[in-house]
Amino acid sequence: MVAHAKELAPYECCGLLAGTGNTVTRIYRIKNVVALEGAQQLASFDAAKVAHLERLSPAERAEIAFVMDAQDLALAQKDMRRNGHTLQVVYHSHPHDPARPSVTDIKIATDYEDYWGKINLPVPAYLLVSLMHQTPDIRAYWIKGGAVTPAEIATS
Amino acid sequence: MIKVRIPTPLRPLTKNQGEVETTAGSIANMIETLNSAHPGIKDRLCDESGELRRFVNIYVNEEDIRFLKGKETMLKDGDEVSIVPAIAGG
Repeated sequence: MVAHAKELAPYECCGLLAGTGNTVTRIYRIKNVVALEGAQQLASFDAAKVAHLERLSPAERAEIAFVMDAQDLALAQKDMRRNGHTLQVVYHSHPHDPARPSVTDIKIATDYEDYWGKINLPVPAYLLVSLMHQTPDIRAYWIKGGAVTPAEIATS
Repeated sequence: MIKVRIPTPLRPLTKNQGEVETTAGSIANMIETLNSAHPGIKDRLCDESGELRRFVNIYVNEEDIRFLKGKETMLKDGDEVSIVPAIAGG
């Protein structure tokens, strides 16, 4: 994830982690398609974020937002099923900001609570990779009903 | 009838209805029917060549149409369709 974030900086990267139980064994890099025409209108950004995005060039938009490529998501979902894995984590990077969910992240994650069941995926944890300091900071959270609580991560 | 769930960003086009009912034989047909009732919706879902845009998923009974037959996926009475915007954040 850190390598992915660094490769795309100053743009935001995004992706998924999957595995079984609470263990993550697989990473899926997903293209950030926020720069595509119409992407920010269909994502559940609030009016202020859309206004902010519209003042930027398409390339600059990817510095402050991400929209996951639906095609990549479908392929990742297919691969997870084939391997008997489930989605555990949705990650993205904050090239210039701390590893905390932004107001936009919380709003969209809250809106998305209604969708997970309909798209046949469990509600994931959200993970942020911040590159604002020399040492990348990685933190995970649960976002439920608009409330954010830290999620514990252990590496082995 | 086929039930179609409309995501929040498209609700201004459906008079704020989160769910609409339609009759259609396929997803392509459903998009045309929705567009007649709610003009502009097709443009939000499909690009100039008529392909589903890269930041939208359509699910029929919890299955992504990309795993079925895409826009040619057939629909039958009682099916539930969900239009789901891509996962996003800032």
